[in-house]
Amino acid sequence: MVSPAPVSAKPKIAVFSLTGCEGCSLAILELEDVLLDILGKFEVVNFREAMTERSWDIDIGFVDGAVSTPSDVEEVKMFREKSKVLVAIGACACTGGINTLKNYQNEEDYRKYVYGNKWNVFPTIPAQPCSAFVKVDYELPGCPMNKFEFAELAKSVLLGKPFKLPSDPVCVECKKKGNLCLYEKGLVCLGPVTRAGCGAICPTYGAKCEGCRGLVDKPNLQAAAENMVNLYGMKIEDVLADFRMFGAYQKERIP
Amino acid sequence: MERVVTANELAAIADEAMRTGRTVVGPVRRKERYFYEAVSRGADLALDFNYCVYSPRSFFLPSSETVLSYSIGTKEVKAAPATGGTPLLIMGVHPCDCNAVALLDAVFGSGVPDDHYLARRKDSIVVAVDCHGPCDQTAFCRDMGGNEAKEGFDVMLTPLNGGKGQAAERYLAAAATERGKELLAYNKVGKAPANADKDAAEKFREARNANFKKKLPYEAEKLPEILDRSYNSLLWQVTAKRCYSCGSCNLVCPTCYCFTVKDVPDLSCASGRRVREWDGCQLQDFATVAGGHNFRPESSSRLRHRIFRKGKWIKEQQGRMGCVGCGRCDRACTAKISVVEIYTQLAEER
Repeated sequence: MVSPAPVSAKPKIAVFSLTGCEGCSLAILELEDVLLDILGKFEVVNFREAMTERSWDIDIGFVDGAVSTPSDVEEVKMFREKSKVLVAIGACACTGGINTLKNYQNEEDYRKYVYGNKWNVFPTIPAQPCSAFVKVDYELPGCPMNKFEFAELAKSVLLGKPFKLPSDPVCVECKKKGNLCLYEKGLVCLGPVTRAGCGAICPTYGAKCEGCRGLVDKPNLQAAAENMVNLYGMKIEDVLADFRMFGAYQKERIP
Repeated sequence: MERVVTANELAAIADEAMRTGRTVVGPVRRKERYFYEAVSRGADLALDFNYCVYSPRSFFLPSSETVLSYSIGTKEVKAAPATGGTPLLIMGVHPCDCNAVALLDAVFGSGVPDDHYLARRKDSIVVAVDCHGPCDQTAFCRDMGGNEAKEGFDVMLTPLNGGKGQAAERYLAAAATERGKELLAYNKVGKAPANADKDAAEKFREARNANFKKKLPYEAEKLPEILDRSYNSLLWQVTAKRCYSCGSCNLVCPTCYCFTVKDVPDLSCASGRRVREWDGCQLQDFATVAGGHNFRPESSSRLRHRIFRKGKWIKEQQGRMGCVGCGRCDRACTAKISVVEIYTQLAEER
């Protein structure tokens, strides 16, 4: 937990994008009900998705996307240097996201698949989260990030209050919603070890949790592997594949 | 006060309650399971349900509720307490959940009374319906005494015909409280029970009592004593190896009442709400206090805490079992950790 750095009366914010779909940047613009209030409290000075002006005097910089190319490395270092507080938003920026799946494939194969015969003019590196290269003050995980959590962080910064992600797993939000557990429907879901904060949106609509918000602080991955294989008949390769979807770069691994 | 009522008359009571401004809640079938939900017609209540995935707890203690709203002026801070919701009629509560309601009443009514909970309870009518036997193989209500309810309801319905999984057409409705008597008198339904009805009710009770079987190898009164000897058992660590600390067992439990309180400021930061939300002792940060110290950082210590609460400490505090044996925790555990198994294994350890 990092306490917010001192910021000016009307904090200047910027939103940057690395390798990703920029959906998390877009999520900020989708905060329709409170967007005007946010704009009243913050000055947006640099936001590719929303404006043409560019300024580099920045109090809080938000970054979405993974670091996946040599130019991403230079950019994330520059964003860090220019921003008093740096916030990684979305699965790609926080854990590397689904970009990290390429780290498990043959480099030439995926470059040819994506860029065809011009593949060798687009340099690449293994996809990694922002925190692999620079100090990140806050992370707002998820694919996409939860825009309401973005608003909560904004309030914490304004109040000078510490911001902390929920430490509960997704199961808590499912139970609060009164959902029938997907395990009872025969689906093996990553909810028990995935950090809450999404409102259990996937299980609520019947899809299993894929862990896009990353793992809880102390995930019992030994239990996850044993329970999923021994109690639910999954193959260990499938368990690993499920965890790799969003968690390929996470420190905690299935033992 | 006892009346013999038909299923149609019960539906009419629910419809009349809705007409006079009550929200009517009861078991509703959603594909493969039953859930307590608000209904729009009394006829939608499925009184022959086996069990509801969640207990009616959330209608008295919502998963999230605003307890007050505040505004910070230049000179003073104003705070206004939030009031309860609409009056409720909950129809179709099994004895286990009635016992759980009675426990929550005791907990929230003692010490510093909890106005938010008590306001909701004061405005609610609970109509219980007796069970034909255990709702499924997970329930261990007979051991915990949860299958017999004396409190936590206003009217008890005893089916006079039908059977397990087959809806009864006639019930013996026995009022247990003034509110229950008023409900039956106001609706002017049913007729006084004939001797044949009383016999049918007695026959039902005998059959149901025979259907409930004990699962533990000892009487539940021995549980506090067994737990006393088991504080340092290796079982806690062994079981915790399988446990995610996901809190599902807490959050489906009809007697769990722990909550956390958060201040949620508006974007203006000059006003906001104080919100209380369900919490659970299995969750990683449950026992983390100001300054960051966590009194129960290990999942094994949290697991033991829950079992001690349910089997010993609540009994010592409230004089009632902290567990009603509904089996929801065992059903909800994706790691298939079973309270019944833990209680059984502890007894075998000595």
